[in-house]
Amino acid sequence: MSAPEQDLEALVAGRMAGQKSALRGAIFAAVAAALAATLLLGLSGWFLTGAGLAGLAGGGAVLAFNYLVPSAFIRLSAVARTGGRYFERLLSHRAALRTLAAVRVDLMAQVAALDPRRARVLSNGEAAARLTGDVDALEDRIVRTPARPAALASAAFALLLAGAASPWAVPALAALFLTLPPAVAAVARWRVDAPAEEAQRLLGQLKAEMADMLAAGPEIAVYGLAAEAAGRLQRTAAQMDMARRRAASGTALATGLLTAAGPLMAALVLLLGTGSAPLVAAAALAVLAACEILGGPIRARLEESRTRTGLRQLEALAAQAADAPAKSLPAASQPQPLAIDALRLIPGDRLALTGRSGSGKTRILESFAGLRADAPQALRVGGEDPRALAFADLSRQFALSPQDPVLIAGTVADNLRLARPGLTEEALWAALETACLADEVRALPEGLLTWLGDGGARLSGGQRKRLALARALLAGRPWLLLDEPSEGLDSRTEAELARRLGEWLSATGAGALIASHRPAIVGLAGRCLNLG
Amino acid sequence: MGDVLGAGLVAAGLALGVGHVSGVAVPPLWMAMLLLLAGGLARAGAQWLAADLGMADAMRLKAAERARHWRALLEAPPAGRLAGAEMARAIDSVEMLEGFEARFRPMRTAAVVAPLLVALLVAFQSPVSAAILVFTLPPFAMGMALAGTAARTAADRQLGAIRHLNGLFLDRLRALPEIRHFQAEERVLRQMADASTEVADRTLATLRVAFLSGGIIEFFAAIAVALVAIYAGFNLLGILPFPVPERLGLVAAFFALAMAPEFYLPMRRLAAAYHDKQMGEAAREALATRAESPPPLPRAEQFAGVSARDLVARHPDGPVIGPVTFAIAATGLTVLVGPTGSGKSTLLAALAGRVPLESGALEWAAGGVPPLGWAGQRPLILSGSLASNLALAAPDAAEAAILATARAAALDELLATRGLQARIDWAGSGLSGGERRRIGVARALLSGRPLLLLDEPTADLDAESAAHVREALRAMAGSRALVVATHDEALAVLADQRVRLS
Repeated sequence: MSAPEQDLEALVAGRMAGQKSALRGAIFAAVAAALAATLLLGLSGWFLTGAGLAGLAGGGAVLAFNYLVPSAFIRLSAVARTGGRYFERLLSHRAALRTLAAVRVDLMAQVAALDPRRARVLSNGEAAARLTGDVDALEDRIVRTPARPAALASAAFALLLAGAASPWAVPALAALFLTLPPAVAAVARWRVDAPAEEAQRLLGQLKAEMADMLAAGPEIAVYGLAAEAAGRLQRTAAQMDMARRRAASGTALATGLLTAAGPLMAALVLLLGTGSAPLVAAAALAVLAACEILGGPIRARLEESRTRTGLRQLEALAAQAADAPAKSLPAASQPQPLAIDALRLIPGDRLALTGRSGSGKTRILESFAGLRADAPQALRVGGEDPRALAFADLSRQFALSPQDPVLIAGTVADNLRLARPGLTEEALWAALETACLADEVRALPEGLLTWLGDGGARLSGGQRKRLALARALLAGRPWLLLDEPSEGLDSRTEAELARRLGEWLSATGAGALIASHRPAIVGLAGRCLNLG
Repeated sequence: MGDVLGAGLVAAGLALGVGHVSGVAVPPLWMAMLLLLAGGLARAGAQWLAADLGMADAMRLKAAERARHWRALLEAPPAGRLAGAEMARAIDSVEMLEGFEARFRPMRTAAVVAPLLVALLVAFQSPVSAAILVFTLPPFAMGMALAGTAARTAADRQLGAIRHLNGLFLDRLRALPEIRHFQAEERVLRQMADASTEVADRTLATLRVAFLSGGIIEFFAAIAVALVAIYAGFNLLGILPFPVPERLGLVAAFFALAMAPEFYLPMRRLAAAYHDKQMGEAAREALATRAESPPPLPRAEQFAGVSARDLVARHPDGPVIGPVTFAIAATGLTVLVGPTGSGKSTLLAALAGRVPLESGALEWAAGGVPPLGWAGQRPLILSGSLASNLALAAPDAAEAAILATARAAALDELLATRGLQARIDWAGSGLSGGERRRIGVARALLSGRPLLLLDEPTADLDAESAAHVREALRAMAGSRALVVATHDEALAVLADQRVRLS
């Protein structure tokens, strides 16, 4: 097994350890249910045959036949089987769901720990699909854990009965019980895994093809190529379907082995039976029941072929462990001086970045914030290149109000409180005042507690921007990074914003880098760097 | 159905075998063995056939669904980021139908027919046993109905909670850079952990109810076996407390017993396919609702010029453009200039009717949108030859014309190294971004359409090729109208007019 797989295994195993009692209960219930099911059929066969023989003998034999105990046991095992199955399912699902709730957050934490400058780009949709859909594939695995011990118990019980009824059949039966799972696994490897993977690959190709076609959407429309394009997609889809069908047929073949093996084993018991007739009948039926229960772990193995790709993707996600340790600043909590090429800034300085769009203003701000590493200038934070510094150290220096801010689905207050723990309501209002947003928030139906919807859908672009600005102010970092803070504002509000920001900067002594092309905002800064 | 017949063979084999061991059955033991083996093989074969035929059915249905949805989607894709969601829906939803069609639907039929068939087979040997099996059905159905309704309401609530959780994960992932920037990871993760655990616990509460219906099936399956065993045993002993019209032999009794578990087996299988059912239903729902596409515009055969008056348009993901006013004559080269993000591509899309207008109007002199040529930033590449890709918009073009246009679009190098018949796969592997772009331009030039809309035709090109393409565009503008979004100043100076966006 490859290293990444072990990472995921270790993660899941660690979290499963917390669910030991539920899992143990599930295994106990599963074993009980399996034994009860085997017993139910075996006992029924024994009872029936015994009754038949007694009935034939007639008279005294009928009176001597104890029918009360077996018939009570038959009813008891029917109830035990039902109860066992119920608790097995309930407890195994409890273990699985609780484990996965934790694993999901662990994986999210791993994603969160990646350095945005180095992490392999994982689109949000992709990452979310892994955290939700692929984690669900793991659920199945955990839910099916009790299947194996249950199958073992019922096979052992059936073998025990067979040992009493037809000892000569035992070696053959044991061999069959032992070889069936590996045989099914071999069929799965041979006939299921490859087509299942092929289908998964084609599904990926299909999505890529469709994405390409949608990107060329206007072209398809103006030239009337939709039918042609859809036809191409259908071709790939048909190939994928064929692979799926092969996989399904392979699965049926594998389970078919088991279906055919049951009667064969029962036949062996009957053929080689040396014990009393009722015992032989009991053993034959018990062997059949055990074979059916063996289907549990075997289906689990086949299910694994289907979810394999998802698991592999999760493994890749789990393997993206924290990056190589970056340099850290000696006095990271202290305000640090900055430099852009020859230009030097000490804490409290204010610099405006100007220049046409595309000249790299945003690049400088985001490179300082540690969100990217492609500013062409020689940047320095406390004398160090920010590219070499730990993301966390940069976070402690800077509070960014980005050009296109991302808000979380939550209330206005949720978004503001992201800035720092322990913020009072007064502090939130004060920051909103400075950002010229307080009046608008007051006008919202529930004020600070108004739900904003996905990505702050309730707010306009300009409002989102000022909310992000207020958030940056609340973070209390030594340097503010403001990217076009007044975009979308009328000139009166803009002037007011510039005035309040100026007062705030003077009051707090924080430094600021401000990218803007608006004179009112540029005027906030003592110095100006024109990027052309 | 083959499965039930196979089960009948197995049961008969078992009954005869046991009869032989007990010394009551006449037929030889090998016949019992043969029945057992044949029954096992028949069952395996029937199950395989059912799986394969189910898949074949599902494939047919999926192909039909794809034909229905994909073509419509490609004809009028929703603009912007909706496209991604639509795509996922178009592909994944159709896939989700598979389990429903291939597994759940056949099992649902089997759950109705197979128990009756089992009862019929049992009735040949022991009508009373068959009646016992059938009489367990009404209480079973009642229990299922009660548990089923409870499970459904709980499951619906649950689905909402899970969707919400997934949305929460997606949202926080999207905001991850800001969350990290403010060092709020721990707080957010704690919040996620709480939400996650809560949903897990709620799911569990739902499952408790859902498993109840599973438990009811299990219970009746077990009880059916137990009842038949006890009845047949008492019948054999002749000590039944009530009169029955039959006197069972051991073989008949054993057959009824061996068949009893088969009675509820199809229902147990159906219950296990519950997930397939849920997915299929969700997929149907998703396929039924489709995002709106812009309404079709009036069409015209000719192009006699177009004028835009105070045009304001907004791309779902992009900035608002305009108001902008300009007029385009029937021939000539118009360039759209302006900084990145100013909406040049959006304006082209608005001209093609791909982006709805917020205000203002486009007035087509000929009364509608003419046949258009289009070369976007990511041209369409279909598997096939280079020639077929170039001639997508003009399938009847002669090879000489294709060759000439390809030269005009500065594809000489590709022609020299790989030729017109070069094979290209759907991903366009082996083609550079610039070559793909030039294929799009050549395709538009070859289309012979009266109005060509080109997005950055000279980007990603070396100086010599770019000069070549500029020349070709300038020449083409003599006989038709070209509207070109560009950053290329050298191209802009050749234009008959400039439309500036800011």
